Amino acid sequence: MQNLAPPASLWRPSGATKIELLASATVALVCVGLIVYPLFFLLAESINVGDPQTFPPKDIGIDNFIDLSLDLTVLLNTAYVAIAATAMAIAAGFVLAWILTRTNVPGKALLERLLEIPFYLTPLVGALAWSILAAPKSGFLNQLLVTVVGVSDLLDIYTPFGIAWVMALFEGTVAFVMISAVMKSMDPSLEESSRVTGAGKLRTLFKITLPLVLPGLLGAIVFVFAEMLGSFAAALVLGLPGRFFVVTTAIWQYTLSYPPEYGKASALGLALFGVMFATLSFYRWMVRRGTFATISGKAFQPRPIDMGRARYGLAAICWLYVFVAVILPIAALLLTSCLRFATVIVDQMSFTLQNYETALTLDAVRSALTNSLELGIGVATVGVFVMAVLVWIIYRSRLPGRGAVEYVVMFPQSVPRMVFGLALLTAWLNIPIPLYGTLWVLAIAYFTVLMPLGVRTLSGVVLQIDKSLEECAQVCGATWAYRMRTITVPLLRPGLVAAWLLIFIASVREIGVSIYLMGPNSKVIAPAIVSSWSSAGTELTAAMAMIQTAAVLLAVLLLLSLTAKYFKGA
Amino acid sequence: MSANLQPMIAVSDLVVSYGNYVAVKGISFDVRQGEHITLLGPSGCGKTTTLRSIAGLERPTRGSILLDGKPVFSADQRINVPVEKRGISMVFQSYAIWPHMTVFDNVAYGLRVRGLPQKEIEAKASQALDLVQLRHAADRPASKLSGGQQQRVALGRAIAFSPSIILFDEPLSNLDAKLRASMRIELKELQHRLGISSVYVTHDQEEALAISDRVIVMNDGKIEQIGTPDEIYSRPANGFVADFVGSANILPGTIVGPASDHELTVFQLNTGARLNTRASTNSSGAATTVAVRTALIDIRRGFGHRDDRNALEGQVLRRLFHGDFVEYFVNCQGHRVTVRRPPTDIIAEGEEVTLLFSPEHAVLLER
Amino acid sequence: MRQRILGLVGAASIFGLVAGNGQAQNAVCPSPNEVAGFRTCANIAKAEQEGKLVIYSTDVEQGQAKIVAAFSASFPKIKPTYVRALSASLYAKLQSERQAGQYLADLVNVDVVLANDFLKKNGYARYVSPQMAAFRSEFKSKPEGYFTWAQLAVAAIAYNPRLLAADQAPKAWGDILNPKYAGTMNVKSSNSGVQHFVWYTVREVMGKDFWKSLASQKPKAFDSYVQQYDRIVNGEDKIVIGAQYSGYLEFKAKGAPLDFVFPDQGVPASPQVWGVIDKAPNPEAARLFLDWFLSPIGQKVMQEALFLNSPRDDAVPPPGGVAASQHKLLFPSDWDGFLGSKREFNTEWDRITGLR
Repeated sequence: MQNLAPPASLWRPSGATKIELLASATVALVCVGLIVYPLFFLLAESINVGDPQTFPPKDIGIDNFIDLSLDLTVLLNTAYVAIAATAMAIAAGFVLAWILTRTNVPGKALLERLLEIPFYLTPLVGALAWSILAAPKSGFLNQLLVTVVGVSDLLDIYTPFGIAWVMALFEGTVAFVMISAVMKSMDPSLEESSRVTGAGKLRTLFKITLPLVLPGLLGAIVFVFAEMLGSFAAALVLGLPGRFFVVTTAIWQYTLSYPPEYGKASALGLALFGVMFATLSFYRWMVRRGTFATISGKAFQPRPIDMGRARYGLAAICWLYVFVAVILPIAALLLTSCLRFATVIVDQMSFTLQNYETALTLDAVRSALTNSLELGIGVATVGVFVMAVLVWIIYRSRLPGRGAVEYVVMFPQSVPRMVFGLALLTAWLNIPIPLYGTLWVLAIAYFTVLMPLGVRTLSGVVLQIDKSLEECAQVCGATWAYRMRTITVPLLRPGLVAAWLLIFIASVREIGVSIYLMGPNSKVIAPAIVSSWSSAGTELTAAMAMIQTAAVLLAVLLLLSLTAKYFKGA
Repeated sequence: MSANLQPMIAVSDLVVSYGNYVAVKGISFDVRQGEHITLLGPSGCGKTTTLRSIAGLERPTRGSILLDGKPVFSADQRINVPVEKRGISMVFQSYAIWPHMTVFDNVAYGLRVRGLPQKEIEAKASQALDLVQLRHAADRPASKLSGGQQQRVALGRAIAFSPSIILFDEPLSNLDAKLRASMRIELKELQHRLGISSVYVTHDQEEALAISDRVIVMNDGKIEQIGTPDEIYSRPANGFVADFVGSANILPGTIVGPASDHELTVFQLNTGARLNTRASTNSSGAATTVAVRTALIDIRRGFGHRDDRNALEGQVLRRLFHGDFVEYFVNCQGHRVTVRRPPTDIIAEGEEVTLLFSPEHAVLLER
Repeated sequence: MRQRILGLVGAASIFGLVAGNGQAQNAVCPSPNEVAGFRTCANIAKAEQEGKLVIYSTDVEQGQAKIVAAFSASFPKIKPTYVRALSASLYAKLQSERQAGQYLADLVNVDVVLANDFLKKNGYARYVSPQMAAFRSEFKSKPEGYFTWAQLAVAAIAYNPRLLAADQAPKAWGDILNPKYAGTMNVKSSNSGVQHFVWYTVREVMGKDFWKSLASQKPKAFDSYVQQYDRIVNGEDKIVIGAQYSGYLEFKAKGAPLDFVFPDQGVPASPQVWGVIDKAPNPEAARLFLDWFLSPIGQKVMQEALFLNSPRDDAVPPPGGVAASQHKLLFPSDWDGFLGSKREFNTEWDRITGLR
């Protein structure tokens, strides 16, 4: 019997092949460079107490940080808004997650789809819409209340609570997703045994379900809080008129004046980064401790609780949320975009499509829209492949230092986008490579800040693939490249498609990083709308927002239909 | 097939550790050509680690592994051949069938990797499918198979490129009892027919005994005993092997001295009863227990039955009906002895009985 | 032979003929081209070869879009893009880029204070356009060719007559300090060049401490006149202080209920200053645009797009409005004082508008 083993002429001294080591090292170095390099510039700027525009800084000191501590208002504002927004997002997320994953509420599939829409709308569009709805004197809702109830100025969106409200509605989807995941992986027999002993549904909810999901809930709270700290768009649109600043808008304001106070902005940015970093480290520590006692090895499909008649009431709650977060804002924007000038006094209204005509002539729409879509497709395509390799290195290889690679790759999550944007601005302005002002610098920036998102999504898919599938290919004689091509990538395909879509949408709605790196020839949608908002007037901005939203939704629907077959993977 | 004196697999002083935890604590064994060896032991004994080390999926800390005379791992010579270059085949516990390919593509994978011409691939893969009786399902998507069929695909894939060595990692543990029983026979026939040297890992001692040429009993990272199934069963080296393989009574006592028949030794149980026992092959006279297989004890109603065998008297405490056999728990002067008998002439609980067993079946153990 | 060449070189230097790319032009070229209805010294073929143009301007985006569209209609081979921000922010961006050696912008439009700062830092490339002859010397840099006042933003007071009856509305600068208007007015932020101009010129007339008292009126600050007018049209506020006449005309044309007040003490006319940038990536296109923009044709397009007043001697009023010269215009009598007052303005104005 001949031994048909492939030629065993290359006896390697170590476990990994040279290619694998080289690939891993290159990727790790590139990632470190992309992330650490701009932060170094940020640090340099923050200790610059001389002329803000000289680099490297000549006068160094910590005055910027000392000034920060005197400016407690901004820090307190940020804390208040972040806490309020987190509380609302978690409360809504918990209720909705419980209703949609554990009860037999009618129309579940449709509701789940609809609840994704606030994410697509972006907090910028949400803030614009709610400023139309709830401005103290002119807001639609206030006008309605005046006629119906006779009380004026009831709702004021230009308050810290208003900002938190918009943040919770449009950035709080992540809370819903995280809590749903925890609820879905709960062992249903834990609840069932409670009901068997006679406890009612509500009692079970509070005495059994809630304590069991508490660890996962705490994780979601910490994570959402970190996200809210770095939020920018809502605070910009709703805070500036009342001169209410949070850290991100304060940083923005510092860089807008002449001479620009980059030192103060950088110091503030580093402070925010420090807090976010600490918060997310705490989150990681919580997760590592394995407090997820509810998650068992098997995949459950928990049986939904039959709520009887009450399920219509629950459906109503869900629809109310959809109404407040999706229908009302879009309706308000649609109406406003068709007005000649923004007024709520009905007899003054005159309708026109002129705003759309004008919007389409603006760079902010024309070139920005194409740029954003181009960037989205480019970053998602390249990103997905690179991130797949990264995920493989971290979770499936035996390469040394893969723990460090994981840490570095997830690091951008701790850096608030605005701060990272400022760091990138300083970094890219000051290096001899002429990338500043082009779409390339935006592509690099998007790729860097979206790495955690892509890696997280893909790792979920990778971890579902049994190791033995790859090991078996190895045993059959397949090299790393052959295995990747024939086994790993095909099995990952549905996950790759999902990650692609996610990265695409995330880059199209990106604002924090883009707002600093936009140049005359590299405008992108979200920041372009922001810069137009201050000079364009409400009705024109509403038209722009509608065009942006429609374009993105269309792109997503198109992509979903094209890739539908890839979702029916293994 | 000519007898080849060089072992197909030679494992020497293998140590595998993960950080501070040592999974395999220095073991050595050979696998001859065409032999079917089973690594048998409880979970955590290191058998799977050893198997995966031979495959290259684990990296040992010390020792060496030679395949057909060539070192694939040697700590001293700093050799570690990557998995894909070792040229051996493996069947995984979870079958590891690739769901996105057809049955044929699964089986042909190893052939394609080797870049064989298409005709040859067709021929060899079809041959393998024939051997596992899945030719009719060649074009079916692999995900739409039952457990037993997936098992066959895994096997077909393993033999397709005609390896001389196949490793089996508990391949039948996910099947139900009946299927397991029939599959193990098929495996054995296939292995014998193709003359493949195989290393088989299982915790099921029945399986190990049924199909192996030799059995390696492992416990806590060490080898307890290597031998043919009969040797392992009839002459266990120590209490662990006696207890783990088959069902045995381990009775404590002390050696008295040689019996009248000098081949035998007199052993006094702690209860006072005296037995004629057989010494283990390498006994040093310090044995403290005697092992008696439960299936080799005769049970008679009433006291007083005597012949040239050992006799113990007692009362039936409990009786369990297992279908193919009946299990009696008998109290012999304070010591509980278990007896397995065919399901005929069943004795009731509480009855007085005499247990009879020959000295051949009473084996002295060191520990 | 040599003498003749020397003579030619000498003649060339007298008439300052441009040689090569990017060199300063110290006088109007001897034979400007007449194209598309205006005269230009730019090299049109080269400009079309450059094919691009980047404008940094404080004008509102929809206005800029209309202007560049009109320019493109005449010169389809040149594709202009623009960046819009408030004066200070725009200048900050420009300076940061230049400091780092990145040159993206060809033309810049900022307020006159920052323009003078840019001039001091040698930021402008000198180009004497044949159109500059139609501008008074006070409306140009000295010497001419660095920057030119291409727009005048006349600013005073505006209000919504539906919310504030005409007899209740302020009529003079002093009226705005009346406590009955507290909480109903808005202004521009300290980053606005127009606001700085209004602040300085009005306090020359009304006294140095005039604006400080405005703090008790708790005005809200915004970055654009569009936002300011939006808010009095939809009822959030009632009065705009430092209201741009151009904004009033623009909104009135859409049918909004507005009234504009020209106080007798005088009306500030804040200049918007344009110039070609030194080391611009597309210098010929920039010159071509500037010539077009400063010409009667460009100025007309500008006025229709932005409703601002034109400083040209032969200017017509913006659509629906009156010519600037009809009213008493306020300019700083102490220009140096004005140019050096930015920091003082920032601090005082930030305090008035409640920004820390």
